[in-house]
Amino acid sequence: MDKAIQQALKVGADFAEAKGEDTIARNIQAVNNEIRTVSEIHNIGIGARIFYKKGNGFSFSNILDEENVFHAVETAMKIARASTKKSLIKFKLAPVKTVEEKKTTDVSKHPEDVSLVEKKDLCLRQCKTAMETSKRIANVTSIFGEYHGTIYYANSEGTKVSYEPLLIGLRITCVAKKGKTIMDARDGHGGSLGLTTFEEKAHTPEKIAENAAKWSLEKLKAKPAPAGKFNALIDPKLAGVLAHESFGHLSEADFVAIGGSPLTGKIGQKLGTDIVTIIDEGSPEKGGYNIYFDDEGVPCNRVEILKKGILNYYLHSRITAKALKMEPTGNARSQDYSFEPIVRMRNTYFDAGNWKPEEALSDLKQGIYAIDTSGGQVEATGTFLFKAIRGYWVENGELKYPLRDVALTGNILDLLKNVEAACNDLTLFSTPFGGCGKMGQRALVGLGGPHIRVKEVLFGGAR
Amino acid sequence: MEELLEVGNKAAEHAQKLGADEAEIFLYMKNHTSVKFVGGIFASRGGAVKGIKGLFMRIAEPWIKKKGLPIITSGIKAGVGIRAVIKNAIGFSSVSSIEKKRVLEAVEEAIKIAKIRPPDPNWVSLPDPKKTVGQGGIFDKKVSDLDVEEMLDLCVDCCIVAGDFDKRITQAMTMISAASVSFGIVNTQGIEVYDRGTFFATNVGTKAKSGDEEVSSGEFLTSRTFTKDLQSIGISASQRAVECLGRKSLPEKYVGPVVFENVSWNELFSIIFTSGISALNVQENRSTLKGKLGKQVAKENISVVDDGTLADGFGTALIDDEGVPKQKTPIVEKGVLYNFLYDNYAAKREKRESTGNASRQTFFGPAAYANQPTIKPSNLMLMPGKGNLEELVSELKDGVLVKGSLIGAHTSNVVTGDFSVTADNAFKIEHGQVAYPLKPCTAAGNFYEALNSIVTIGNDLKSFENILCPSVVTEKIVVST
Repeated sequence: MDKAIQQALKVGADFAEAKGEDTIARNIQAVNNEIRTVSEIHNIGIGARIFYKKGNGFSFSNILDEENVFHAVETAMKIARASTKKSLIKFKLAPVKTVEEKKTTDVSKHPEDVSLVEKKDLCLRQCKTAMETSKRIANVTSIFGEYHGTIYYANSEGTKVSYEPLLIGLRITCVAKKGKTIMDARDGHGGSLGLTTFEEKAHTPEKIAENAAKWSLEKLKAKPAPAGKFNALIDPKLAGVLAHESFGHLSEADFVAIGGSPLTGKIGQKLGTDIVTIIDEGSPEKGGYNIYFDDEGVPCNRVEILKKGILNYYLHSRITAKALKMEPTGNARSQDYSFEPIVRMRNTYFDAGNWKPEEALSDLKQGIYAIDTSGGQVEATGTFLFKAIRGYWVENGELKYPLRDVALTGNILDLLKNVEAACNDLTLFSTPFGGCGKMGQRALVGLGGPHIRVKEVLFGGAR
Repeated sequence: MEELLEVGNKAAEHAQKLGADEAEIFLYMKNHTSVKFVGGIFASRGGAVKGIKGLFMRIAEPWIKKKGLPIITSGIKAGVGIRAVIKNAIGFSSVSSIEKKRVLEAVEEAIKIAKIRPPDPNWVSLPDPKKTVGQGGIFDKKVSDLDVEEMLDLCVDCCIVAGDFDKRITQAMTMISAASVSFGIVNTQGIEVYDRGTFFATNVGTKAKSGDEEVSSGEFLTSRTFTKDLQSIGISASQRAVECLGRKSLPEKYVGPVVFENVSWNELFSIIFTSGISALNVQENRSTLKGKLGKQVAKENISVVDDGTLADGFGTALIDDEGVPKQKTPIVEKGVLYNFLYDNYAAKREKRESTGNASRQTFFGPAAYANQPTIKPSNLMLMPGKGNLEELVSELKDGVLVKGSLIGAHTSNVVTGDFSVTADNAFKIEHGQVAYPLKPCTAAGNFYEALNSIVTIGNDLKSFENILCPSVVTEKIVVST
C-alpha cells in the first residue's frame, strides 16, 4: 500500500489514499432440521483513490502483485485527469490530523477459532428447539453469519491505520400455521462479539428460538390492528430502524449538501422534544458493530446528530465536511476495496432516558405497542411507512391482546415532536445479514434505542 | 490463462488429496471500466442537482454543456470458486484472489463445508469433458484497450447530441461499460477448458420537460465489439422522451390487443419465460410449463430457441460456467414446447445431458466466482416475424402501444405468469396510428395467456444481453391510467 501511494505521487497525484482488505464473510443457513446452504466469500484486494486538481479517480485490483496494483494507481490517476477536464464540481478534502494506529480485536471465541461444526450446531439447536415447541410450527429457518478480517488504510498525508472488524449474528424465523392462517416471527442476536455470547442465558440458541416460536404462535391468535391515530410504545429495534432509516439518512451530509435533505440549513433548530437525542457512533458501549476508522482513515467520532431535540451535526466525509465547512466525523465508508467511500451511518440510535419500560407502558393507558419491523419504505422528505413484526393492543396500561398487520406511517420530523418518553433500557442491534444499501453499496451497520413512547402515531394508514 | 489453469489443476489435486470425491475449480478474471457522465442541466434552471455516488453539486448557470458530473470506475477482479463433493454433499467456497496459497486455503474451506452438509440425494457427479461446438474467443482488442479519457469523450459527445436534439431535453446521462473477461474450469472428471471475451454496453437516459410535465426515457445498446456511433443512441433516447410529452389519460379502462415494443416485451419475456423454462424450476414445481413437453404452449406463430453458438451473441462462448459446451437448444417450435434448459445438476437428476446453460453471472451482488451455477439462457431468441413497429401499430384500429422499459416487471408471478407493470412511455392507438402519449399506465395480464394470443410478431429483433426479442401484438391485456 505504501508503494501504491508513492507510485501515485510519482505520477502526479496531489493526494492519494489506499484501502486494503482481507476479510471473510460466512453464512450457514438451516431450514427445519437440515443445513441448507453454507457460503463463504473471502475478499482480498486493494482500492486506490487519487485527487488531482479538482478531479478525483478511483480504481482497484485484487491481483496484488506490483504490476497490477501500479496499474490500478495509474488508472485512478487517468480517471482523475479525465474528470478534471469535464467536471463542474471541485472536490476538496477537509484537513484532518494524521493518525498512525493499529487496532486489534480481542474477544473470547472469535469465530475464526471456532469450528464450522460448532457453528452449524448453533443453527440446528435453534431448529430443534423451535420445532419441538409446537406442531403448529410449520417452518423454521435459522441463519448464522460472521464477518471479520483486517482493513488497512494509508494516505499520502501520513495517516496509516488498521483495524479488525468483527460481526457475528444468529437469527431464527418461525412460521406458525393454523388452518389457513400463517404467521411468522423472528428473534436474533449479534454484534462485535465472540461466540461466548451464545452461552449467556439470554442469548442461547435455545432461548432465541423459543422466543421466535412463542411469538409466531401467539400471532395466530392476533387481531388486525385498528386504523387511526394512537399513542404508541415503540420497542428498541423499531426505534433503531426509525433512527437509522427515517432520520439518519436525512443527516447524511452528501444529501444535505445538495439541498436534498429536509434537514438542510437547520442546524441549531429545535426539531424534537427535549427527550430526543439521536446518536451515530463508531463503537458504542452498549453493543452494535464496532468500527474504529472510516475508509478515509478518520477516527470514528461519536456524533450527536440531534441533541435534546436540537439539530446539532451532520454525518460527514472529508469531502462533505469541506463543502459545508464542518469537521469530518468518520462517516466515509465503502462496501469493500472495490468501491469509493461515501457518507454512511455506523451505529445509529435513540439515546436512553429515565423511564422504566413498565412505567412507560402503564402511563400509555390506551394505544399500541409496536415491535421490530419486517420492512417498509422511506422517502427523502422523512415520510415513512414501517410494518412492525408484532404488536399488542394496550388498554389501562396493560397488554390486552396481540395484533397483526401493525403498520405505522408518518413523517419522522413530526414524530420527533411527539416523543414523550425515552426509557432506560438502551439496546443496540447489529447482524451481518442484509445491512444498509445506498447508491449500490452495502454497509454493515448497528442500530437501536430504548423503548420510546410517542403520542398520536398513525397506524394502518397504508392498506 | 495457462497459469490460471495451472493453479486450477493444483487446487483440484489438493482437494482430492484432502479426501474430496470430486472437485471443480472455477477461475475468473474481469477487467471492467464503466464511465458515466451526467450531462448537466441543459435548460436554464437554478437549484440543486442530485449527484450520484455520494458526489454533489449545485448548478446555477444555464446551458452548461460540455461539463457535468463524470463518474468513472475501473478495476480488476479475479477470483476462484470451488465446489468440493464428499459423499454427495457439496461444499462451496470462494476467494477474491488467484494466488495459489489463497486458492488452496479456499479448497480446504470447501471441504470443511462439504463435511457439515447433508448428502444431496439428487447429486450424481460433476460434468464430463465433451467436444465444444460453438464460437469462442469473441474478443475485440479495441474494447479491452479502451482508454477512460476516450470513453468519457464519447459519453460527453453523446450527451450533447441528446441535449441538442430538442430544447425540451433537460438532462442526459450516458454510461459506457467495457469489460474483458477470461474464465476457466478445471474439474476432477477431466474438464480443463477456458474462454475469453469482451463485452461493450452503452446506456443513455434522458429527461424531457415541458411546463410541469416531466418524462424520462432512454436507449441502449449491448454488443461484443466496440461501436463508435453512439450518437444515434443519444438521439433515439431524446426522441423517446420528447414524443411522450403531452400525455393524456385513457378515456376509460382498456381491455384488448396491445402492441408491446421489443424493449417492453423483453422485460416480461426475460423474467417470466426464462424462469418457466428452467429445468430446476420445472423439477421443483415452480413452473407452469411442467408436464407440457410436446404440447402446445403458445400460438403456432411462436418459435423460441436458445443458441449459445450464435455468432457474436452476448451469451455466446465455447463453454458454460461448468465447462459444458454451449449449444443450440430449440425450446418452442410452432407453439409446441420441446425442451427446457439444463445445467449439470438438473440434467443428471433426469439422467440426461446438460444443455450448457450453467451460469454464475449476477447483475447485482458478488462477482461470478462467488456464486454457484444456476440455469440461465445463453442467447434466448423469440424468432422474428414480419413488419416493423409502425406496421404492427397499423394493424390495430384501436389499441395501446407500450414502449420503453417497464416498472415492476420483476414483481411478476414467475410461476403463474401473472404480471402488472407500469409503462411510462405508452401511447394510445387510434385508426391504426399513434394518437397521443398516455400518462403512466398499468398494463396487466398473464404472460402465458398472452403467448397463446400473439397476433403478430415484428421483424425488429433487438438484443438485450442474453435475450433477443422483437415487438409483438398480443390480446387480452388490461390497461388503465
